[in-house]
Formats: sequence, structure tokens, C-alpha cells
Amino acid sequence: MEFDLENPLTGFEEHHIDAVSALFTAESDHTPSFLAFKSTDVRFSLRRHSLSLISQAQSSYKFNGYIAYLAVNYIDRFLSRQVVLENKPWIVRILVIASLSLAAKMRNIDLSLSDIQRDVGLIFDAQSIHRMESLILATLNWRLRSITPFSFLHFFTSVFQLGDSSLTQSLKQRASDIIFSAQYEIKLFDYKPSIVAASALLCAADELIPLEFSSCLGAISECQYLNKEELMNALAVMREMLIKGQESAVDAESCSMLTPKSVLECERTSSICETPTNQDRDNMKKRRLSDLRDDQTFQISQVQWC
Amino acid sequence: MDEEGVPPTALREISLLQMLSHSLYIVRLLCVEHIDKNGKPILYLVFEYLDTDLKKFIDSHRKGPNARPLPPSLIQSFLYQLCKGVAHCHSHGVLHRDLKPQNLLVDKEKGILKIADLGLGRAFTVPLKSYTHEIVTLWYRAPEVLLGSTHYSTAVDMWSVGCIFAEMVRRQALFPGDSEFQQLLHIFRLLGTPTETQWPGVSSLRDWHVYPQWESQNLASAVPALGPEGVDLLTKMLKFDPADRISAKAALDHPYFDSLDKSQF
Repeated sequence: MEFDLENPLTGFEEHHIDAVSALFTAESDHTPSFLAFKSTDVRFSLRRHSLSLISQAQSSYKFNGYIAYLAVNYIDRFLSRQVVLENKPWIVRILVIASLSLAAKMRNIDLSLSDIQRDVGLIFDAQSIHRMESLILATLNWRLRSITPFSFLHFFTSVFQLGDSSLTQSLKQRASDIIFSAQYEIKLFDYKPSIVAASALLCAADELIPLEFSSCLGAISECQYLNKEELMNALAVMREMLIKGQESAVDAESCSMLTPKSVLECERTSSICETPTNQDRDNMKKRRLSDLRDDQTFQISQVQWC
Repeated sequence: MDEEGVPPTALREISLLQMLSHSLYIVRLLCVEHIDKNGKPILYLVFEYLDTDLKKFIDSHRKGPNARPLPPSLIQSFLYQLCKGVAHCHSHGVLHRDLKPQNLLVDKEKGILKIADLGLGRAFTVPLKSYTHEIVTLWYRAPEVLLGSTHYSTAVDMWSVGCIFAEMVRRQALFPGDSEFQQLLHIFRLLGTPTETQWPGVSSLRDWHVYPQWESQNLASAVPALGPEGVDLLTKMLKFDPADRISAKAALDHPYFDSLDKSQF
């Protein structure tokens, strides 16, 4: 049976109410965290390169968005836990290939890895890929049933008590789109999956049923598992992300030649220009913001290809 | 495995096992070793060690120099832990499908019971085939599985829990059948041959035949050492209709456990 991101625990078709508390209990095991790392840490650039390669591959091969999402989740959790890392192009490439391979296996889908490898420009033999898979598995402790924001959509929409199933469906759909883009937003990175899910649904509600937004917010804040302050912070970040996304979409339209490659190159030149002497906190913040901008561009360029 | 790396099924099953091993009442998966042996990749799953299993534990109370009944408070505690573990599996959407005393590991000193042999069974079909040359036991198999029902649910595990409960009290199996047919006869002789009123749809199950019409016996006589609350819980675990059978979560709140100090769990 394939792994369903919206229903990570149960092998049953229906959702189990007992599973809800299990989800909230287990989510922190599946949350990557880069909080402990300096903004100059090599992980940030490894992550950016990986995300760019994955969106390239996804746009060429049109594989399921969940596979890409899951692969990025594995990469993030792997990077959060690995100690010795170097920013070498082949590391990013083999990490991406092995993560995509694992994600596809979990989703029970055949991915043509050899085609993808040709596209990313380096071909590894099967043994090397399997060794990398094993390294990822060992680092993640074989916990590949990631609890992601998607896992909480069903529970939170049931909290809204909308009664209209087509409306619920559209809310979930819009929230899913937001969750996909939120993976590129490094500011949302350290929020728990449940918080990201709740914020995405609230943003979706704000767009689709603005009159009911406050009752949705009320209902979700009542939820015993959520920290309200954290939720409000995440919601603010996500709103900002969506507004920025719209603005840059307009910008991007005027220079629509933006391709993943050019984004990658832009990003490379910018990191070359950067002086590594900025160690103080202020500069760290600035750097984080520039990270954000880069990630934002990735997100837009991804939207463009769809 | 060498062509595709870790097989997808193993990946999905082991990640499930890893998720379940959070519970105190499930044997913990300590690590997974992926080893290349003469070019053949092999997966080793390393689980925590407990000194005995419930089958050996019951056996040691049935025969030998120390033969004596299991203390009622221990039965109560073991059953509670078993229901806790089963509830945990069920809340994660996992059926065990092969609960039996051999699969329940016991720490005698601490009075702890944990469910083992989980998860990997999901990739295979029920009835589970044995991979060691051990004879597969039918004694704990639910009637709907024996009758060839294709839609089984969490209730199949609760039937096994009921059989294990009775066995702890009796120190011998409740339904020791040696073929699927004999197994059903054992069940029907004690609980009566099920009727359509009792269990709607039973006579349309794939392997249903015409059976002798037995009346149900008094269940308490099969477990004379068990008090009325215990007999009531056992009755609810051994309901014919899977939809009527008590769930693991509901069992935890049954009055049978009222006298148990639950703070220790």
C-alpha cells in the first residue's frame, strides 16, 4: 500500500479520530530544524541547490507533487542531522536522486531515475545511489512516513464544521497549494507541520470564504493541540509570503524569461559576491532575508512552469 | 534487492514499524542494519530483548515444580497492557492479525508485556504463512477470518485478545483446533452456532457450511477462576459479529480494570 501524505498513519480508508492525537505526538520526530545553524552554514546552500534540482526534474517529468514534497522533506531532515557536509555539486545531486528514489518507493511509483540523472548532469552507478539511500535511511532512522502539514488537513477542516463538502474540498485544495509553496519559505521552516497546516487553511479560508474567516480562526484556536501564539506568528509569515508571491509574480511577468537555470546562476553569483566576514547577528538577519528572496524566486519560477 | 536498493515494501513496512515502536507496549525496533553479504544485501531488524514470552510464561505455571494459577492481578495487568498496545496499533491503522501468546514478550521481573512480530505481516496475506517451519496456529483466529471473510477489521485482533485473556486464566488454550474446520467447531461448541440474527450475513460468508446446531454454553464455566466483570469483558471480546465486538480502546475503560492502578501505565 502506498504512503499517503494526507493520511500517514492509517492503512484504513477512513480517518480515525484516535489517530489525531498520535499525529500531534509524533510530528516533532519528523520536523527538520535549521535553527541551530548559522546562516552561513553550508546546509542553506545545499538546500537551495537541491530544491532547484528537484523543481527542474519535476517540471521535466511531471511527477506527482507529493513525491517532490516528500523528497525535500527527507533532504531537510537529513541536512538537519548530518554533521560533515561540503557544498560539492555531486553531493547535492546524489542527495536529490536518492531522496527522489526513496520518496517514489514510498508512494509506490516508478520514477525513471536514469532520465532524471541525465538531466541533472551526473550519472551515478546503482550502487552509489543505494549507498546514499542507506545513509539517508540511517540518518532518518527509517522514519520515512513523514508527518507533514498535509497530514493535518483532514482534522482541521473537520474542526471548521463547514458542512459543505465541495467547499471543504476547495479549501483543502487551496491550502495544499499554499503548503507546497511554503516548503520554499525558509521562515516557515521551523514551525511544526500542524501549525503550517492550520495557517494554510486559514489563508485559504481568508481567500475563499472571507466572511467566515473569523469563525474558522476561532474554531482552530480552540484546538487543544495548537499553541495560539505560534499559530498567529506563522499565519503572519504565511500571509506575507503570499503577498510577496503575488507581487513577484507581477514582476516576473515583466521579465518572464526566468528559468530555473538562470535562477540558479543568479543565486551562485550572489553567493560569490557575498563576503564571509559578516558574522554578527544583524548581518545574519540580512542574509536570512536574502535567502528568503532566493527561495521566493524559486517558488515563482516553479509556478511559472506549471 | 541489488537491482532496486531497499525494496519499496520493506521500506514502507519498516517505516511503519518505526512509527509504532513509540509505544511502551510494542517491542521497540532498535535499529535496522543494511548489510552487504557476498554481494547480497541483507536487512537486519534489531529489536529490544525481553526474557520470555507469554506462552512460556503460562507453560511454566501449568507444569513443573512451580505449577500454580497466574495471580489475578497479573492477568489484569497483562491484559491491560495488551489492550493498550493493540489500541496503539489500531489508532495507527495497523492490524496485527497474528496475536498469540508466543508473540507477546514478557519481562517477568517488571511484569511488563509487549507486542512483537508486528507490521511485517501486513505485506502478506491472511492467513499468515510461517517462514520458520513452525506450525501456524489457528487457535486465536477470529471466526470471520476462518469463514473466509475478505473484509476484516480491527475486531480480528480483539478476538485474539479474548482468546489470550481466557488462556491466561485457564492456563490452556480456549479453542485448540487443529484444522480450520475443527477450529470453528471448537468455537461453536462453546459459544453456540451463530445465527443470522446474531451475526447478520454470516451464512453468506465464503466458507460457511451447514454446521451442527449447538446451543451456547455458559462462558463462565470455561473460565471458572474469573470474576463476573472479567467474564463480561471476555464475552464482549468474543462476540461473533465483528461489529459488536468491543474495541481495544473501549476495553481499557471496562469495569474489569477498575481495581487496577492505572497510574503505572
